[in-house]
Parts: sequence; C-alpha cells; structure tokens
Amino acid sequence: MNRYAPLFEGLTLRRVLVVSLLCVFVASVSVWFFINTWLDLLVSALCVGYTSMVLFTAATNLPQRRLPPWVAQVISIILGSFLGTVLAGLVKGRGIATMFSERFFGVLITMGLGIGFGCWAVWIYYTRQREARHAAELARAQAERSQLEKNVLQARLALMQAQVEPHFLFNTLANVQHLVETDPAAASRMLESLIQYLRAALPQMREDATTIGRETDMARAFLDIHRMRMGSRLDYELEVPEALRARPFPPMMLISLVENAIKHGVDPCCECGTVTIRAAEEAGTLRLSVADTGEGISVKKGTGVGLTNIRERLKTLYGPGARLVIEENAPRGVVATIEVPGQAAGPADGPAPDPVARGGPATA
Amino acid sequence: MAAAPTAVIADDEPLLRAQLRSRLARLWPELAIVREMENGRDIEQVIADHAPGLFFLDIHMPGVNGLEAARVIGKRAHVVFVTAFDQYAVEAFEQGAIDYVLKPFNEERLANTVERLRERVGGAPPAMEELVERLAGRLAPRNGEHLRWIKASVGQSVRMIPVEEILFFQSDEKYTRVVTAEAEMLIRKPIRELLGELDPEKFWQVHRATIVNVEAIASVRRGLKDQAEIALKGHGATLLVSRNFTHLFRQM
Repeated sequence: MNRYAPLFEGLTLRRVLVVSLLCVFVASVSVWFFINTWLDLLVSALCVGYTSMVLFTAATNLPQRRLPPWVAQVISIILGSFLGTVLAGLVKGRGIATMFSERFFGVLITMGLGIGFGCWAVWIYYTRQREARHAAELARAQAERSQLEKNVLQARLALMQAQVEPHFLFNTLANVQHLVETDPAAASRMLESLIQYLRAALPQMREDATTIGRETDMARAFLDIHRMRMGSRLDYELEVPEALRARPFPPMMLISLVENAIKHGVDPCCECGTVTIRAAEEAGTLRLSVADTGEGISVKKGTGVGLTNIRERLKTLYGPGARLVIEENAPRGVVATIEVPGQAAGPADGPAPDPVARGGPATA
Repeated sequence: MAAAPTAVIADDEPLLRAQLRSRLARLWPELAIVREMENGRDIEQVIADHAPGLFFLDIHMPGVNGLEAARVIGKRAHVVFVTAFDQYAVEAFEQGAIDYVLKPFNEERLANTVERLRERVGGAPPAMEELVERLAGRLAPRNGEHLRWIKASVGQSVRMIPVEEILFFQSDEKYTRVVTAEAEMLIRKPIRELLGELDPEKFWQVHRATIVNVEAIASVRRGLKDQAEIALKGHGATLLVSRNFTHLFRQM
C-alpha cells in the first residue's frame, strides 16, 4: 500500500472539504430543475465528486510522460463522472441494467453535470496553482537577489580582511636588518620594494579600482622581495603588454595568485623555480595568468581560501563572464588564469563564451 | 673544562642564516657553528657527522620544517626555535619554557637567550615531545585524507578542478563525467575508485553510477516505487536516486 502512497499525495482533508462543499452547492442548485429530492441529488453529487477527486489526484501524480497533465486530468474527470454516476445508482439500489435502459437519460444528465462542474473545479485549481507558482517564483527571485547582495558584502569584507601576512612582513624586515649592516644598497632596494608592496596591499591605503599595470607593479615588488630573500631559488618574468597596463582589474587577485605560486609552488621544492606573469587579450577576453615551475598541486592538498575568494569575487563582479582556471604547467608546476571580459564586452554584459568544454579523458 | 659548544643553524633564507651566524659570533664567540641547513631534511646525517650540542631551527621551512626536525632530534641536542611571527607558538614556548628567538632579532633578547643557553647547553636537553606535537597539530593543516582536486584534460591542457565546484560525477561507459556549473569533462577514474577517495561527508553515492556533491542538492523529490529525484543548484540535470540509496534522504 505504502508504495502507492505518492499517487494520492495532495488528497488532503482540505481538498475533501472543498469537494464536499461543491457537491452541496451543486445539489442545492439542481434541486430547482429536477423532480428529485435534495438528498437524492446530494448522494449523486457526492458519489461523482469523490470518485472524480480520487481519480483526478491520481492522474495528477501519475509519473507518465505520454499525455500532457491536463489531458490526463480531464480524462480522469470524465471517467470519474461515469464511475461516480454508476456508484450513485448502486447506492440508491438500482441495477446496472436499469441504469442503461429506462434511466439512461438520468444517468447522462448526472454524468454531464459531473463533467461540467468537474472541469470548472479543475480550472479553478489551475488558476490557483498558477498564482501560487508566481508567488513562489517571486519569493525565489527575492531570495536570489538578497543572496547576491550578501555575496557582494562578503566579497567586500574578504577584500578588506585580506592583509599583509605578519610572517612575510617580519621575515622581510629581518632580512633588511641584516642587509643594513652588510649591504646597505641592497637593504635600501628591499625597503623600497616593501614600501611599494605595502602601499598597494594595506587595506587602508588600497583603492577600489585599480589597473593591470598597478597590480603588476605590486606583484613585481612582492617578487623582488622574495627573490632577494630566497637567494637563487626564485626567478620571475613579466610579460604584460604596455597596451594592457591601463585596463581596469579587480584589486588583490593577481597578488593572491603570485603568493600561491611562491608558497605552494616554488617554496616547497628546494630547487629553483620561475614565476611568470602574463597578460593577453584575445577574442574579447582578457587573461591574466601566473605560472610557476614548482611542485605542482597534489590532488589531496587544500585549495586555500584565496582561490575560493577570487572565484566568489569574480562571480559577484562579472557574473558568468569571468572565471579562474587552474591548470598544470608543462613540464611542471601550475598555471592559474583569471579571465574577465575584455574591452569588446564590458563587465557583466555581453554573452559569456560558452564555457562547456568537453575534453578528452585523463586520469583523475 | 668542557669542549667548545657546537651549533647548527637551519633556516631556508640564506640572509637570515648569515645574520644569526654573525650575531652569535658577536654574543657567543666560543660557539662553533658547524653546519648551516636550508631545511630539516638531513638531521640524522648532521647529528652523525657533528653531534652538535645545539640546533637553531626556523619553524617554517620547506621540506622538513622546524617542528618535524625537533621531533627527529628528540633528546639528542638542545633546540632553540626561531620564528618570525606566530602568536600561538610564542605562547606555547612561554608556557613550555622552551627557548625561542624572534625575527627580526632584538639584540638584548638574543643576549638573554644566549646567557641562558650557555648554562644549559652542558646539561641534558629537556623533554619537549608534547609541546612539539601540540604545535605540529596546530600549525600544519591536515591534508591528504581526501581528494581536493580533480585533474581532467581539456583540449591540450590539464585542468585542475577543486572538488567543491563539482556538482556530480556520473559514469559514462568507460569514463566518468565530471560536471560543474559551467563545464563538463571526462576522466578515466571509475566511480567506485572516486568513492574511496572523496570525503564521504561531502559526496554521497545516490546511484550505482552517480556521486553527488551534497552542497549542490537543491531539493529531493519523491517519485513512485521508492525512487527519488534530485534537483541541483545551478544546473538543469535531475539525478535519479536508486532504491538502495533512498535511505540517505529519509527524515529530511
């Protein structure tokens, strides 16, 4: 029995009450037009009403795809009216044979009334359902909008909280401290790089809108510091065309990728590594990538808060038109690429390039 | 008179090794720095070669870090931790009466530490396993238990997809389809193998051929014959839940 329960979902007490009231109404109206007593008509109406109601509920829940739902429901009303009329006759003690001979006209009338009122009830049901659906859609749209607003706030908060790592700061200062005594010129260079980096990285000193050029300069300062600190282990290259330097770009994303490249790529592997920053525009898409020749990503190592943060912010700023792609570098290391709409298409408009890529298989 | 004390400095930054070496030369001229190391990898060899009385260990080093190195050293030498900044570590050091030095160095503090070490270095090194374990548990995030990335080739390149972005995996003859909100890729790893490697809290098998990201489930609709259907967030696909797995969604 239990496995057929889903068929009768929606057969609530409320629905039974509504149908009963409808039957009382139909009996009270038709008593003016027929010689039958009110009670007699009510019995007929209830038999037809309940049978149709049960069949209608089942037709609504039936997991069939051949007929449009409303056709199945109308069929259920017709069938319900027929079976209900026969049931009414049986309740009143009439034989099947009488019903289809001398009382056939009455049977037809009862059926017709059942179909008529039944279809009317179905129509009301549909109208109400549509209203409910609209209300639900409205509520969902509102929920989505407030979720988006929440995301914007969270992204802003994350950006404000992203700050200079004390570990980086103190280690750099320890290097400066040593260089002041041994190589004052190098100490001064390192301090200059540190100042340039801090100017861009400290939340209080950061501007909302920045450019690829400014972000690249900041990354260069950061890489300079690390190169001095790590000795011969780190090298870097910048391939940023002059023409792209003035392009607007969200702040602190490039530096996060560079930090990751050093922290998870070059630093853990003890030989030297190269970090390459590349900017390019192609077919309306602006790509800014950071490649390292380091250790590569172990499939079981954490993804870091930084990357999730960048993804969230890109989604908030550009919608589906922007993304962060992480790939393996050849022959070793990782390339992280941020793609945003280029000059041809402004932020948050223009059709996003179809990102559905169906590639060949590889091992996971 | 005991032999001149010997020490080893381990720090991944060459300038900071040089700095500590020169400061120690000034404050503790008779201390012989017998070896400098970039990380804690060859501790055993260094102990065998030099049997130093003292190790200066930077906590954050690539490869084998300071805490792991201290674990290897055990009670065979005194250990002084060197750290640039770590509030938690510093508190632990204070409580455990372990010697530590903060970078950048403060001349006076370093002098105090050297004074203490001069007295101690002749004696037996203190036990510090417990402290090291506690710090190691705190400082090093647990990695490596579950799959965090899926590698799939897209055209010529190998894409790395964080598992959080994957909505579901579905076996497709010889391959497994990996579906995210914006892309779909094929990998060779079969469903049953993935099942053993993904975090079972976050990924549920709902069908012989399907693993779904629990976070991506928008709703579960009960159908006929105990078969449920999953609707996903941000994706049009519906996933069938086979009868063996419907228990996952009872009472929800």
